[in-house]
Amino acid sequence: MSNTYRALVCCRAGMGSSAMLKIKCEQVINEEGYPISCEQGSLEDLAKFDGDLVITMSDFAEELAKEGKVAHVVSIRNIVDKKEIKGQLDAFLAEKSE
Amino acid sequence: MLSDLLDEKSVRVGVAADDWRSAVRASLQPLVDDGAVEVGYVDDAIAGVEEHGPYFVVCPHVALPHARPESGARRAALGVCVLAEPVSFGAGENDPVKFLFPLSATSADGHLGVLADLVNLLSDERFLPALDSAETPSEVVEAIRTIERSI
Repeated sequence: MSNTYRALVCCRAGMGSSAMLKIKCEQVINEEGYPISCEQGSLEDLAKFDGDLVITMSDFAEELAKEGKVAHVVSIRNIVDKKEIKGQLDAFLAEKSE
Repeated sequence: MLSDLLDEKSVRVGVAADDWRSAVRASLQPLVDDGAVEVGYVDDAIAGVEEHGPYFVVCPHVALPHARPESGARRAALGVCVLAEPVSFGAGENDPVKFLFPLSATSADGHLGVLADLVNLLSDERFLPALDSAETPSEVVEAIRTIERSI
């Protein structure tokens, strides 16, 4: 698998929650060797984003899913729970490999 | 390290709050008093939750009240606010919230180091119990230093 998927980790401000979420996601991605690269941003960056995956806190994810703007939304409830993050990223990668 | 940025003046324990709004205001007030953020920043943090849900409730019992840098952040700052009684943010499994870490940054990547430290602290199972048993701001800072040294 040579393709690297582009993920945007975002929250409303693009500053606090998203920064912490990106740190934790990158820990999981590095440990597991997933072909995913993370960028961080706000809602404004989201409007311009043309990558593969959006990772966000769950309340935002519901909003995004409703709007149907993004190909795949990963929704994280507990940012310190690596198992939750890994499970969501696994589901994304499984979908991509179908 | 996080404890280097943390000023005891921005640490409060046993804070009374009736609901999530008063908890967010109480947590950010020391940053307002200290000139790190304008009142508009506090208003924007609350407006953000009203509009988008509790996006800064990041794990069980923990919130990081913050807003958009352009709403009135003057410089990077971090505080700790431990509530006397937890409040609901409508955050599902992460409710109720007892520990708040009010945060300001003047740019989106202004203090990634501090946030990385905070993630590591939150990932340490000793962290929240240590905050919960601290009775003064200086005990909070000391508890954070002790855990930081051992991570």
